Amino acid sequence: MLAAQTRAEIERARQRYPSPRSAILPSLWAVQNELSWLPPEAMAEVAELLGIVPSEVQAVATFYSMYFKHPPGRHHVLVCVQAACALRGADETVAYIERRLGCPSGSTTADGMFTWESTIECLGACGGAPMMQVDHHFEENLTPERIDAILARVAAEPATHHGPGG
Amino acid sequence: MAEYRLLTRDIGTEGLQTLPVYERKGGYQALRTALKERTPDEIVEQVKLSGLRGRGGAGFPTGTKWSFLPRDIFPRYLCINADESEPACFKDRYLIDENPHQLIEGILIAAYALQVRHAFLYIRGEYHDQRLLLERCVEEARRAGYVGERILGTDFVCDIIVHGGAGAYICGEETALIDSLEGYRGQPRLKPPFPAVKGLYGKPTVVNNVETLSNLPHIVGNGGEWFKAIGAERSTGTRLWCCSGHIERPGCYEMELGSPIRELFEEHCGGVWKGRALKAFQPGGGSMQVLLPEHLDLPLDMDAVMKAGSSLGAGAMMFMDETTCLVNVSMRLVDFYHHESCGKCAPCREGTYFESKLMHKLEAGVATLDELGTLADICANMDGKCFCPLGDTATWFVMSAYRAFREEFEAHCGAEGCPVAREHRPLLAGHA
Amino acid sequence: MTDATPPSPPDDGRVEITIDGRVHRAPKGQLVLDAATDVGVHIPIYCAHPKMDPVAVCRMCLVQVEKMPKLQPACATYVSEGMVVHTQTGPVATAREGVLEFLLLNHPLDCPVCDRGGECDLQDFTVRYGPETSRMPITDKVHFDKAVPLSDRIELDQERCILCWRCVRYYDEITGEKEIVLQERGVRTSVATFDGRPLRSAFQGNLPEVCPVGALTHRQYRFVARPWDLQRARSICPECSYGCNINIDSREYEVRRFASRDNPLVDDMWLCDRGRYSAPRWNRTERVRRAAVRTAGGEQEVTIEHALREAGRRLREVRDQHGANAIGVLGSVECTNEEAWLLQRVARDALGTSHLDHQLEAFPGLSPEEHALGIAEIEDCSAVVVLGSRPEQQAPVLTLRLHKAQRKRGTAVHRLPSEVDDATVRGITGQRLVGVIADESDRARAAHVAQLLGAGNTEVRRLTVTRGVNGRGCKDVGLLPNLLPGYRPAPGAGRCGTEILEATSAGQIRALLIMGSHPWAAGAGVALTGALNAADLVVAIETVPGPVSHAATVLIPGHTHVEKAGSVTNLEGRVQRIRAALPPATAAPSELRVLAILAAELGCESWPAETIAVHREIAAALPAYAAAGNGGRAGWLVPTQ
Repeated sequence: MLAAQTRAEIERARQRYPSPRSAILPSLWAVQNELSWLPPEAMAEVAELLGIVPSEVQAVATFYSMYFKHPPGRHHVLVCVQAACALRGADETVAYIERRLGCPSGSTTADGMFTWESTIECLGACGGAPMMQVDHHFEENLTPERIDAILARVAAEPATHHGPGG
Repeated sequence: MAEYRLLTRDIGTEGLQTLPVYERKGGYQALRTALKERTPDEIVEQVKLSGLRGRGGAGFPTGTKWSFLPRDIFPRYLCINADESEPACFKDRYLIDENPHQLIEGILIAAYALQVRHAFLYIRGEYHDQRLLLERCVEEARRAGYVGERILGTDFVCDIIVHGGAGAYICGEETALIDSLEGYRGQPRLKPPFPAVKGLYGKPTVVNNVETLSNLPHIVGNGGEWFKAIGAERSTGTRLWCCSGHIERPGCYEMELGSPIRELFEEHCGGVWKGRALKAFQPGGGSMQVLLPEHLDLPLDMDAVMKAGSSLGAGAMMFMDETTCLVNVSMRLVDFYHHESCGKCAPCREGTYFESKLMHKLEAGVATLDELGTLADICANMDGKCFCPLGDTATWFVMSAYRAFREEFEAHCGAEGCPVAREHRPLLAGHA
Repeated sequence: MTDATPPSPPDDGRVEITIDGRVHRAPKGQLVLDAATDVGVHIPIYCAHPKMDPVAVCRMCLVQVEKMPKLQPACATYVSEGMVVHTQTGPVATAREGVLEFLLLNHPLDCPVCDRGGECDLQDFTVRYGPETSRMPITDKVHFDKAVPLSDRIELDQERCILCWRCVRYYDEITGEKEIVLQERGVRTSVATFDGRPLRSAFQGNLPEVCPVGALTHRQYRFVARPWDLQRARSICPECSYGCNINIDSREYEVRRFASRDNPLVDDMWLCDRGRYSAPRWNRTERVRRAAVRTAGGEQEVTIEHALREAGRRLREVRDQHGANAIGVLGSVECTNEEAWLLQRVARDALGTSHLDHQLEAFPGLSPEEHALGIAEIEDCSAVVVLGSRPEQQAPVLTLRLHKAQRKRGTAVHRLPSEVDDATVRGITGQRLVGVIADESDRARAAHVAQLLGAGNTEVRRLTVTRGVNGRGCKDVGLLPNLLPGYRPAPGAGRCGTEILEATSAGQIRALLIMGSHPWAAGAGVALTGALNAADLVVAIETVPGPVSHAATVLIPGHTHVEKAGSVTNLEGRVQRIRAALPPATAAPSELRVLAILAAELGCESWPAETIAVHREIAAALPAYAAAGNGGRAGWLVPTQ
């Protein structure tokens, strides 16, 4: 089911490591870049390409928080609510985004444009709190005005990648 | 002792992330010195002499760690830990964003000293742009002959493989990092064997932090003796301090080790924001114990802070003003460990869950005093019983806060809401 | 210069360790957990498993080790010289109680409806070391799927699972199939198959035994019994010649399950699903229960005494009229050694015929060399050649031993087609010991392959997978036309099973004495029907109704594998005992007594009729069996005169 380009990328990743299994994470990123999430059939294909058992790919894929097991919206917004951000108003940021997007954390807007969630996982931008990541780019020192501007800008962009690929 | 810009010296230079600018600033000269004028063993000796201690959190002497490698087993591997995920830490991202070639030069020096041909740079998945930047810089260095075959015309061969994680704090633990890199669930391994003996692909492996390695060009360039003169006696050199929370100027500041915390807090951070008073602060990152205003006069010295009951850990400083609810902060940190527990061992997997349930009740003001006792008991049953330090440290901040702010914790019991928030409602929020 | 160093104690490969005050010299490299077991100190475990590598994830076995700041997991801590361990101190007790609270936190506590109740380590240790109550409200429990069928054999209750990793490691380390893995992380971790697809392994039945709690259960055994209602008999799995040791658990006169009974030299505690789940077939109610004599007037129920008298009289008649070789004797691979021994004596000594066998096929040139390689010795082989897929189809647990040898000892396992060419075989390099494994139909090929491999100082040993639970024993004790007990050549030109049936159809053989046709009757087809139609006399000792019992002139009820005692010999020559697990479905005496009475009717008085007495007779005749005792291997030498 995977595109030739993705399969080629997985093969390149396989060559990079002494053991093909090491290419699991890069391969899953390649799949997510193409399909936006990880359907079981794609995991089975990755397993085949790397010479391992599909169950092992599933075990790995579900361990990490950044792989989507269901199709997400076109853009992904992640807001940190860990302590350092919370001290500088992350809860208000979350409340604002929830109002702005009209759906609760962990869901996708009705138009399929944004999947957003608040995360307790520190994203490493405490010096610019409150912060969020939009399609994996850091957006710091958020204010309602900045959030509006960022979301408007991103909505106009095409859905790009869902992981650290190309 | 004061601000000392060593690793951050050139930061701010336009285009430092590109090879020509980095070279113009003297970049890759230390690598040249290492490869042309020093033997690998001489570099290990210089690093030992420098007194450099790991910047990832545990503070283990780097040279000593290197010397644990068995002398005659090859291949060996170097893993660079850029899985920075400790709450309130962002120095590695800063160093990568601002001076990526310094890190790459450090990696190459370490690889030469350790006679490693493959260095794996494990960077957390959330650092997407940083990963792309590093990949670009490695390619740039490769084209310039710093990476790959016959580096700088010598016999030294080294490749750097940038490996992106996918969202798991536990992969910062070195054996979990190795498991993740090998393509397994990133869960800690049984020790012994230690990675130095049996690590990546079953071979001797060293895992070093980004900031640790970024020091190497300076140590090799100026000598271990020179480096040793910077900082405190057993905490040599500088460190990057990730300052966050209720301060005027949050950000990353480099200070000589041994400087007073107060100097960092007042001069660089600008003190507590909005003219408020400091209530508490957490050094080291989310794992570490809470300290009080009276501890501001402690030196930024690993041993001194440890004596005070906390740790400099991975170099964070999170400041909390008088409106802060310590139960709320504890709850978020406990939630973090619950979210990030890998689930391997029972005390951490189940304990962080129970802890989190209790903390949410407590913060909501619906817990009983008995349940507060249960919380302490649960933490005691976790601390020291878990498979790896994650489960142990999941109890450290909350228990230290409970000890230091017992009344505040108890006041939450049956309060039907957070009593601190009730008092400071208009003040708590950032955008008051 | 004087030598100031005190003489060091001789290195005997052991270190001194003290556990709860008991001083013990433990072998180097031993785990504290095992050392504790050796000195009689119990340490509770969940994740630790005697057949798997340590993982130290459950933290139940934490103990205090002097000079170590934290409690240490006994399952992953190795003994060292002078180590002092405490397992009964306050900190250890607190840790155990703490761990149990954690393990029970999200556990459903549904013991009353759990199949594992009564034989569950979580129950047992909670009673012994656990907290009295749960401090977390029941409403806070994390919920997972319950009663998820993983296949038609296994059911998974994710809520009961304590995530000890045993099933995952079983599939990783023991079978290598990796069908069950962990998914998600933290408190959401669960065990699962890929995309919820069913298990396909031939060894799933071991999962409920590997599981320390009631998370993995047998669908066949669901809600069937409580352990305290079960009666247990130690026996041998009846499904093939591998000789896996089992416990037959029965309740109310029915077999409820086969459970493994670890014999490290044979099964290593693993059973295959074919063997394990064959249990219900022993509960068939359709049985031959009464003796009968068939005359022209029809079938008539008679007493056993009457039937045996009639059988003796009619057999004597045939012998007197047509000669002893007009009688054919057929046993089966389900005969115990004792039964097979007496049956061949009846044939040879009481009747005087040379036509006797235990199965249909002929075995020319049979020798004990074909069984030289022991099961456990597979792990000592540098390389093993398995010819064709039949050996592992017939004796599935062999696959697990091969995997273990591969994984733990680096044995190279070559699975080759049975018609493999010589060049391929010559390409296999092995040092020391090389094994060749084949089934009965590839005996000749195996001999050839062994010869090719046996160059230089490489020793080659063969293992032949015999058919049926006691195909090997029947051969050893000479229930064969061409070989006497102990593989001595038999005089006369005896016919094999198929030839006996054909000769009967052709009228050369006039009478048949058949004991237990079940294993071969279906395969005999028209040859059997023809023989039964043509025979003047069929004396049959049968357990289940079938063509033989329907045609029998004299019919005597027999006993099944689970109703009788005796010994059976596995494919490597290990002599192991089976014991009665169920009361017999018939009032008839044992086959041994039946044969002894029949012998008496034929003029041979005072034959032994008790298992032990017959076994003594075998041991006296066959030194290899005397040496094997109970559970040892009959180490055959090439027969001497």
